Amino acid sequence: MPDESWQPQIVAFVCQWCTYAGADLAGTSRMKYAPNVRIVKLPCSGRIDPLFLVKAFEQGADGVLVSGCHPGNCHYVSGNLLARRRFTVFRELLSFLGLERERLQFSWVSAAEAVKWTEVVDAVTEEIRRLGPRKLGWGETLPSRGSRFQVASSKVEPETRNPKPKTLQAAEESIRRIARQLLEANAVDVVVGYGNGTLSGVTTPVFVTQPDGVEQLVWNERCLNNLSVYLTRDLVKRMGRVGIVAKGCDAKALVALLQETQINRDQLTIIGVPCEGMMQNGRLAVKCVTCDVHTPPIYDHLVKVGVGIEILEIGESGEADPRDAEIAALEALTHQERWAYWQEQFSRCIRCYACRAVCPLCYCDTCIVEQTQPQWIPPAFDAKGNLSWNIVRALHLAGRCIGCDECTRACPANIRLDLINRKLALLISDEYGYRSGYDAGVAPPLTTFRPEDRAEFIR
Amino acid sequence: MMCRMLHRDKLTAWLEELSRSGRRLIAPQREGNDAVFKPVETVDDITLDYVNTRWPVKEWLFPRSEPLLRYRYVGSSVELEQPDLGLEPQVIFGVRPCDAAGLAILDQVFITDYEDEFYTRRRSVTTVVGLSCTEPAESCFCTAVGLSPTSSEGSDMLLTPMGDDGYLVETLTAKGKQLLWEYGHYFGAGECGSKDLATKAIEAKMSRGATLAQGIGYSEELFEHPIWAELARKCVGCGICAYVCPTCHCFDIMDDADAWGGIRCRNWDSCAFSLFTQHASGHNPRPEQDGRYRQRVLHKFSYFPQNYGRVMCVGCGRCVTDCPVNLDIYAVAQAVLHIHDELHIDGKSHIAGEELHSEPHAREHNSLTSSRAAS
Repeated sequence: MPDESWQPQIVAFVCQWCTYAGADLAGTSRMKYAPNVRIVKLPCSGRIDPLFLVKAFEQGADGVLVSGCHPGNCHYVSGNLLARRRFTVFRELLSFLGLERERLQFSWVSAAEAVKWTEVVDAVTEEIRRLGPRKLGWGETLPSRGSRFQVASSKVEPETRNPKPKTLQAAEESIRRIARQLLEANAVDVVVGYGNGTLSGVTTPVFVTQPDGVEQLVWNERCLNNLSVYLTRDLVKRMGRVGIVAKGCDAKALVALLQETQINRDQLTIIGVPCEGMMQNGRLAVKCVTCDVHTPPIYDHLVKVGVGIEILEIGESGEADPRDAEIAALEALTHQERWAYWQEQFSRCIRCYACRAVCPLCYCDTCIVEQTQPQWIPPAFDAKGNLSWNIVRALHLAGRCIGCDECTRACPANIRLDLINRKLALLISDEYGYRSGYDAGVAPPLTTFRPEDRAEFIR
Repeated sequence: MMCRMLHRDKLTAWLEELSRSGRRLIAPQREGNDAVFKPVETVDDITLDYVNTRWPVKEWLFPRSEPLLRYRYVGSSVELEQPDLGLEPQVIFGVRPCDAAGLAILDQVFITDYEDEFYTRRRSVTTVVGLSCTEPAESCFCTAVGLSPTSSEGSDMLLTPMGDDGYLVETLTAKGKQLLWEYGHYFGAGECGSKDLATKAIEAKMSRGATLAQGIGYSEELFEHPIWAELARKCVGCGICAYVCPTCHCFDIMDDADAWGGIRCRNWDSCAFSLFTQHASGHNPRPEQDGRYRQRVLHKFSYFPQNYGRVMCVGCGRCVTDCPVNLDIYAVAQAVLHIHDELHIDGKSHIAGEELHSEPHAREHNSLTSSRAAS
């Protein structure tokens, strides 16, 4: 039990038009309510970046309250409705990572609702008081030995399906033929594809600028890299018009980049390759188990592979993602166990930012970790900074990640970023019926809203 | 140097006694499929089944993140707190020869050149017990940079597996002798030359046979060569190669403060990051990945040899296997060396000192002018 003298410290981020005015009214009306809340006033709940909440928790807040205008009352029309989606995702993410749900609270309080404000603060304070102080610092775990929770390895073992050598060879010949034609016709300045790597069974990105160079291009079951990451890189952009070899999952990244207007479709030629799946560590890569884009969703030239690759409709893979069982196992745990699991994972993070570097959708010129005034993400490679970095990375990809798993493949510390990405993708699919990478014509889910979006967690 | 033999059956008993000697014993332990150096709680956790450890050993002397000072506001004054270096004597067991040589390189930087208090104090209480390799990985190239799977540089004591007989034990420094003296009853007579055959057998299994130990001579033509953009094109700019490198030692010092106090911390840094050379003015002398990648290669194979007389690479191969785009420094160094030789066919020694036009500040000047030219 918490000791009697302990008082929860709660940071409230509120919008200036409604909730702040409501709190002001409560004060000028001499209403009495719990003194545990410190208010930070912002122009709109839409301006409340989840990062602010992370900072509050970093610095020891026992709880955080976010409050804005009721739907329909936003001074800026829809800031609160956009915020509602963002906080739906943020709340689920933090809960998945093991923070008690009660520590993160939301309400709509209008300028007239002084009474509601006092009730909300009293109720939130009481819930957090019952929970007690946060026993562990941000990102910290109790030292444990041997008893660390391991995710029950999924029952669905990825099969060791080998792609058919004949289709691979046909595809390789076809890729070379198309690349040669494109370069000879001066339709592209460079073809980005796969070449043989320096270690056995490893491919490496190659940049072919001359027709005779197409012999470097290979196609086999090790073409794991998502080459679309290069399309936003200066050194590649400068080469001119790009032809890119793309599997279905890579083409999903191209769709997302087009959707976010990061690439110019006219300057891009997509050499789509039907793909039966790539191999990783001797078995079918996990992302390939549920693949429903064996044929790329967009392409300009489709590589001929002969026969044998089934073309599936979206959502038709018919397989269960082995990670769904792992996610379910994690969700069945207590918050403390889940927290311990993730903090152990993040404790291995060496902040090499490979997850960011290989991500086709992490194209910002200046990443949030590079912003030093203020220093948003704690710079030390410790529990606090590692947790905040991993939260922010996941959140910035929410509703955008196309599930290519490159971050997880690149991570030298084997952190299960794929579980986090998958969890958020499932959430967004359930809540908003949206899956990233299929349609460049629709708005990404966190940049839009519907009036009927879920709101039952908001007081 | 003195040589002894340690019987295979006695290894565990020796480590057991060592772990209870009041020293902290750090040794490779299982973490998933990897072996990772960790303080030993029970010797049963120690694994000997690894080609090399997940991370190099350097973090036990040069932590990823090291608090230099902490402060707290107390009333109207500030209370300074010296960080606890945790300076208990430690023995690190199971360090591969490449990683141990990496420590010898860090010694040159942190002790010989400038005495870094934090590193030096940790180093002085650390005894390194190396463990020679028996099976090289495909990515290993220690022999290409002048080392070998059984080389002893950087170790205080080196154990070389000698089949069923056990381990040949070489004591190389006073710290190693101390260990031998304290635990003499575990060690029998050994013959120093006896590891040569074993060494040759392992070396024969290594496929990366180029000679890079002489480094690459510096010249402006090489610095400005278009090869760098070509090589760096596939670099995605993560920090894996620097952070898994036993010799990379760049760091950044940063403050992290809140309303109650703060911490000044030095953290590993990587030349692959854009922030690495970013000036307060916003100017960045290495505005793009080609300049950053060039720095990595030339620092290891050109600048470091000029300053310290050896290449700053021990051939552990971690950056080769961990690079998400297979940008292979062994292959790159060969390609650059080839270009250097084509540019300068006069056959000058690669180790500079002889090439006087390449002082460090002259290089900075060059990088500035090249970035202006590019922009």
